Amino acid sequence: MVFPTLEFVLFFAVVLALNLAVDGHSGWRKAMLVAASYVFYAAWDPRMTLLMAAMTALAWGAGLLVRRPGWTRPVLIIAIAGFLGTLGYFKYANFFMLSLGQLLATLGLERDMAWAGVVLPVGISFYIFHGISYVVDIARGKVEARRNPVDVAFYIGFFPHLVAGPIVRAADFLPQIDRPTPPGPALRAEAVLLILTGLFKKMVIANYLAVMLVDPVFAWPEGHGAAMAWAALLGYAVQIYCDFSGYSDIAIGVALLLGYRFKANFNQPYRAASLQEFWRRWHISLSSFIRDYLYIPLGGNRGSAWRQAAVLFFTMTIAGLWHGAAWTFILWGALHGAGLAAERAGRAAGLRLPRPLAILATFGFVLLLWLPFRAHGSANALAMFDALTAGTDTGPALAPVVLVLLALGLLMNFLPLSWRDATISGTARVPAAGQALILAAGTMFLFALSQEGTAPFIYFQF
Amino acid sequence: MRQHMTVFTLTLWLCLPVAWLLSGQRFLDWAYAMPDLGRVDDTILTILDRADAWRATLGLGDPFGDMRAALHRATGLGARP
Repeated sequence: MVFPTLEFVLFFAVVLALNLAVDGHSGWRKAMLVAASYVFYAAWDPRMTLLMAAMTALAWGAGLLVRRPGWTRPVLIIAIAGFLGTLGYFKYANFFMLSLGQLLATLGLERDMAWAGVVLPVGISFYIFHGISYVVDIARGKVEARRNPVDVAFYIGFFPHLVAGPIVRAADFLPQIDRPTPPGPALRAEAVLLILTGLFKKMVIANYLAVMLVDPVFAWPEGHGAAMAWAALLGYAVQIYCDFSGYSDIAIGVALLLGYRFKANFNQPYRAASLQEFWRRWHISLSSFIRDYLYIPLGGNRGSAWRQAAVLFFTMTIAGLWHGAAWTFILWGALHGAGLAAERAGRAAGLRLPRPLAILATFGFVLLLWLPFRAHGSANALAMFDALTAGTDTGPALAPVVLVLLALGLLMNFLPLSWRDATISGTARVPAAGQALILAAGTMFLFALSQEGTAPFIYFQF
Repeated sequence: MRQHMTVFTLTLWLCLPVAWLLSGQRFLDWAYAMPDLGRVDDTILTILDRADAWRATLGLGDPFGDMRAALHRATGLGARP
């Protein structure tokens, strides 16, 4: 079940009403939201709920044991091995077997390997990261372990963040599950605005840019010249931002209406004047998760400059691998790591660019690296690179509406945040019924504007 | 606060039948596309079938579809490159 569908509208209408009905009964409320989250997840494949339940059981059990004197280290090792082993199997087994087969073939040792292929459960990376956050935060003394498994199931499986984040920290979310914040006028206004903005970004900008520009050019780079290839690359930069930040906006808005707040996941990333700043603005929940649970434990900013650069490079390569089991994602992460390390060295040497120039340089670097990220395989990436450097345009011209979509997508990155705050303040003054009508009418209008059918979110595959 | 949230939720619920009235056969298409849930989807299909037959007698047509077509024509969205 994905957000911009009639199915989800009906599901959420029921959940919202039930949430109101059990208001004031903490136990019932949690049980209802856990049941709703499992129904939401079962809509993809009911069997996969068993895997999520197993991961929840692992987190719950490890959480109870991890603070016992002398048990912290072994329990952490077993739990994290369990989480990462499961993630590794479901997400990387196919990639590993394929790469092994190719390596053996290259060495002339071709084998007929019987391998059925593993189905990748939707959102597995996200709920496993929630499990890790739960156990590690307890081990670090940031939160208390929950005796009630329903609490843990709620934290890990809460449907707004279940399949594509944001990754919500246990220390941030667990205190909320006993004391949700009833959505008053301002919170409702913020939720309505987030949901409508998210639907617009996803259903209009991201989906149309995909079908009208990005997909056709990446599917056949040889048939397009440099201008079209650059437009498609820029289109992908806008598409992926609108797709993923749109999903995050809807998730945050839906959670707000139910009484829970997630932290922002995007903050106008293409305004960044350095790669470091970019990663503080792009997929913030993943960047900070990787910083706190991988980069800092590996040494972070301690040690020599070379050691720091190596840790940065390694961390970003792992971040690339997290995005998908393909060499193109690894390359994307590694190049970001190398860029961050080079940027740090430049700063240490006193190199500074004027801010507008630094924004352009950062955007240019990020834009180029979307190429391996979007390409389906190295041959496609190379063909696209050739198209970018080709001199002539042999393909069709860019439709004016595509230019408008590109401009609107970029505008989302540069609109002053005070405008958003003013819109929220204005909507907060509208009575509750009016706010609901704005949400309903806005949703219907955006559904009408969108394409027929459902386009999955890019980050579902991660 | 609770009272306002009740009004908000109730209004959203009231918008659902309005959306159904204006949406042509989309609710029915959705119901037929549902996975087989035995009696549950049988019941939903029966209700929606009867409701749709009644809606047809009102002669409302497909205002949502008309709006979609007009929006797409006006904006050029959906045209293949």
